[in-house]
Amino acid sequence: MFRLAAKSVRHNPKRLILTAFAVALGVGLIAATHIFTDSLDRGFTRLFGEIYDGVDVIVEPITDGGEVGDPTSGDSVAKNLDDDAVRIAQDAAGVDLAMGATEALGALIGTDGETLSGGSGFGPPTLFFNWTGVEDFDSATLLDGRAPEADDELVVDVDTAEQHGLAVGDQVVVGGAEGTYPSTVVGIATWGDSNNTQGATLVWTSLDRVRELGGGDGWTVIHVRVDDGADAEAVAAAIDTALPEGARALTGAAKAEEQAESLGEALKAVDIFTLAFAFVALFVGAYIIANTFRIIVTQRTREFGLMRAVGVKGQQVRTMVLGEALLIGIVASVTGILMGYALAGGIIWLLKALGPGESFAAPIIPLDAIIWGFAVGILVTLASALLPAIHASRISPMEAMREAAVQNRRGLTMRNIVGGALALTGAGLTTVGLYAGLDRPYVYVGAGAVLLVLGVTLLAAQLLVPLAFGMRDLLTRIWRVDGKLAANNIHREPRRSANTAAALMIGVMLLALTATVTQTVKAVANDAIGGQFTADLMVVSTTVPGSPDQSVVDELASVAGVETVTRSASLDARVDGVKIPVTVLDTATAEEAIAYETEPSFSEIDGGVFVSPSAIEAGAEVGDTVTLVGEEGEISLEVTGTYPNSGDGDYFVDFAQAEQLGSPIDVWQYSIVAESGADLDQVRADLEDLVATEYPLLTVQSPDDMLELANQLIDLMLAVITALLSGALVIAVLGVANTLLLSVTERTREIGLLRAVGSRRRSVRRMIRIESVVMSLFGAILGIVLGVALGVALIRALEEFGFDTVAIPWGMLAIYTVLAIVAGIVAAWWPARRAAKMDVLEAIAFDG
Amino acid sequence: MTTTVTLAASMRGGTKDYGHGDAAVRALDGIDVDIATAEFTAIMGPSGSGKSTLLHTLAGLDRLTAGQSWIGETEISALSEDKITQVRRDKIGFVFQAFNLIPSLSAKENITLPLDISGRDIDPAWFDEIIGILGLGDRLTHLPAELSGGQQQRVAVARALVARPELIFADEPSGNLDSRSGAELLGFMRRAVKEFGQTIAMVTHDPTAASYSDRVLFLADGRIVDEMREPTADAVLDRMKQMGH
Ligand SMILES: Nc1ncnc2c1ncn2[C@@H]1O[C@H](COP(=O)(O)OP(=O)(O)OP(=O)(O)O)[C@@H](O)[C@H]1O
Ligand SMILES: [Mg+2]
Repeated sequence: MFRLAAKSVRHNPKRLILTAFAVALGVGLIAATHIFTDSLDRGFTRLFGEIYDGVDVIVEPITDGGEVGDPTSGDSVAKNLDDDAVRIAQDAAGVDLAMGATEALGALIGTDGETLSGGSGFGPPTLFFNWTGVEDFDSATLLDGRAPEADDELVVDVDTAEQHGLAVGDQVVVGGAEGTYPSTVVGIATWGDSNNTQGATLVWTSLDRVRELGGGDGWTVIHVRVDDGADAEAVAAAIDTALPEGARALTGAAKAEEQAESLGEALKAVDIFTLAFAFVALFVGAYIIANTFRIIVTQRTREFGLMRAVGVKGQQVRTMVLGEALLIGIVASVTGILMGYALAGGIIWLLKALGPGESFAAPIIPLDAIIWGFAVGILVTLASALLPAIHASRISPMEAMREAAVQNRRGLTMRNIVGGALALTGAGLTTVGLYAGLDRPYVYVGAGAVLLVLGVTLLAAQLLVPLAFGMRDLLTRIWRVDGKLAANNIHREPRRSANTAAALMIGVMLLALTATVTQTVKAVANDAIGGQFTADLMVVSTTVPGSPDQSVVDELASVAGVETVTRSASLDARVDGVKIPVTVLDTATAEEAIAYETEPSFSEIDGGVFVSPSAIEAGAEVGDTVTLVGEEGEISLEVTGTYPNSGDGDYFVDFAQAEQLGSPIDVWQYSIVAESGADLDQVRADLEDLVATEYPLLTVQSPDDMLELANQLIDLMLAVITALLSGALVIAVLGVANTLLLSVTERTREIGLLRAVGSRRRSVRRMIRIESVVMSLFGAILGIVLGVALGVALIRALEEFGFDTVAIPWGMLAIYTVLAIVAGIVAAWWPARRAAKMDVLEAIAFDG
Repeated sequence: MTTTVTLAASMRGGTKDYGHGDAAVRALDGIDVDIATAEFTAIMGPSGSGKSTLLHTLAGLDRLTAGQSWIGETEISALSEDKITQVRRDKIGFVFQAFNLIPSLSAKENITLPLDISGRDIDPAWFDEIIGILGLGDRLTHLPAELSGGQQQRVAVARALVARPELIFADEPSGNLDSRSGAELLGFMRRAVKEFGQTIAMVTHDPTAASYSDRVLFLADGRIVDEMREPTADAVLDRMKQMGH
């Protein structure tokens, strides 16, 4: 039977090419994801190995209560190590040398005031390290010049030097949060062997300068070199026991492994994200495969009937069809994996060409890509072919005797019942999620959505019948016979047409859903951002928040046309032992600068504290006294007001109170209100000049800039998701093409007849095209309706997260509709060509 | 051309080769033929003699390898594919042995298909007359699958007639019918020639079918070997036997 299957595939390869291609595309996406992350994974493993290569043992601080090395968890950032820790490490048995190191973020500026690197807030950072002179510890080797000896001397990495044309002896300016420092380039170094910095700029300078730039007191890490012959692991263990709480020691190798591992975890998240899209693509692909096999089985009814008549068992027919599927699955999986390799390789090559691709190892096809590719490709194909195969095995020998292939007039009743039940359950679940007020409503809405989509897919056949019929008159009026025949063809096989349209529907639905959600996110964000700032301009820190330095305020205020400067800052304090975020403001001027609807106004805070809705929920009331505990002090404040915004700190205080806590205060924004009548452009230009020379880590922005930035991010997200979904869409379009192609083959005689009685080729082409466009449009419109409905439902379910409006992305929906028409035309291209090129005589003589 | 009778179609030196080299088959071997208007011409001959090929090349469904052919005054052997299609659409009707109808169109829609394609108006009186003669009045809304073989062929004849083509080509139109339905169909075709001056050229194997025609052309090995006017079934059968059929 397998031999028969192979023969059948070889005899008529065309009808299976598109099917195989659809599977291959899905498999390709899966394989590409695995190959891509594998390459990145190996690249980073190699990189970390290189970084910690020369360091035998590392001593580093532990964040209290949190995970090591992860500043976002736990409740406080790690504190630097002190000199005692260095001494403990140095004194441990087997230690040759222990040295502290520290680092800070900053900017590198040309003498003309033009920022060379850092300071933009985007792109890779500019990192400042203290030069220890120990090559292994610095991970740097001088290529030119000498080591920095004074505070105003520095060494830059070789790629940065090349990029900006810096040479030994050149003058530059170092920019920090607190000021600028003219310096001289005294050396050029390579970091590790290949200066693989991921685009970051590395600068080595004096310890004092790094501390001044924000490195702070103490050390961020201690590097240890062991004696010749000493066991690094034993030394690490010895140091670790000697260290006080809050610090740990481990070998460089262990650290490299740890880093690679935690990165691997992060990559896994990316993996899952992209795999989800690959599975959507495959799901759509499965539709097409099932559809294709169903059509093929129908077309070969006579052939199978004949086989059964000459004694082939039904089960053998089934095996044969599944054999064909298996063959296709294998071919498609191999093709898909190779396509995935090409795709991943292409992306990596592109990233390398564009710059940020250094950390990729040369792509290979990892075992899991092969296993996943084959498993998914073959399983999906076999599963999709199963029903058609069973159907084929039930064909009676009588079918061979019939004149023409009798049309499959099986009713849609069962399909409708199942579809209706699924859709109703789905809608019910969604409604429950929306209005029953249960916990985590989005779970219900999500599950309901899946059921609803499946149900509608099944019901689509029922919808398509009246639709095609309703459109028949319209199409006939516009395109006469061509339109009529196109409508007839859609109508004739409602199941097939519906399945074809459904593949497109799923893709478009996901797009419409994404567009609706992102449009709403945009609207909500724009509301929030637009409503928040009444300031004319904002000066924000781009790399690290600054400290509350009055001189910055004074200098900004001294710019002509500036009326007030209001600082926004944050700090962490404890209330009743619980760490809470506190927002610190210049409350005297905050009223005009920031549009918080406080009760009463900020100017009446009166040395007290304003509380947020969440604090109120926790029991705070106006008139209560709240005690904030900081690192070096505590204050008891009267609650003098409330404010309605959530998402900011729980408490609002003025700088006067905040400073008594002794905790670091991070200033992240200066809101500028201009004098009325001042030329805003001029004020902005003056501010920019000031910031560029004095505070290179600050940048001037208008509320519009902020909006634009937020919108750009959201658009980028939409673009990424759209790109990932496009795999599914391409497959859906292939599906339409495939169905049409098979249907053209099926209608060979009919098309021949049309040509014989005088239809022109153009006319035949147009007929196929109309059919295709109507199916595509139908799928797209169903998809849009479903997608928007589900998007709205999802947003409603997420109301607690602040989604209080719904924005329908009309523009995008219009684009999707137009694209559906284009997709229909594209999908019809090959089938229409084949139909038009059909030889009239051959068509008439065609042996069904 | 030197003929004085009006010709619906003609061919001079019509040659048709299939395949190349050793595998080449000469299906038509220098055929000269004239189909006069308002005449019912039957084409007979052994299997493989080139009957269908002659019909197809005359109708412009296929191209001659050499020679010329005309539909009316138009030399179709010189026309482009698109122009030939137009000639077919406007001047020719077809009845095939089977698969004559578009399955998704009703009988009526099938009948008016050529008019719909060319965008011409239906002449209701003519339509009703044809339907009346062919006895299809109560079958018009049915799909082909719901019609008997004989009814399907009658619908095909009605389709060929409704556009009043200059010429109808029929390739074994009664070949799939029982003798009664076949006789009925051929009777209709003869009536169309006699009463409405329709021109019909028909390929057939059946001497009885040929006896409905005005003239029989006998084909053998791609040549016209004989011709018979006012044929009877017996005379045709005799002639066929001579040809070793
Ligand atoms: N497409 C083709 N390719 C090659 N040879 C062909 C083709 N069509 C017809 N022939 C050959 O041309 C010759 C004439 O064929 P044609 O179909 O005209 O015969 P016919 O008289 O109609 O026969 P029948 O009575 O069996 O229908 C035959 O030898 C046939 O094999
Ligand atoms: Mg023939």
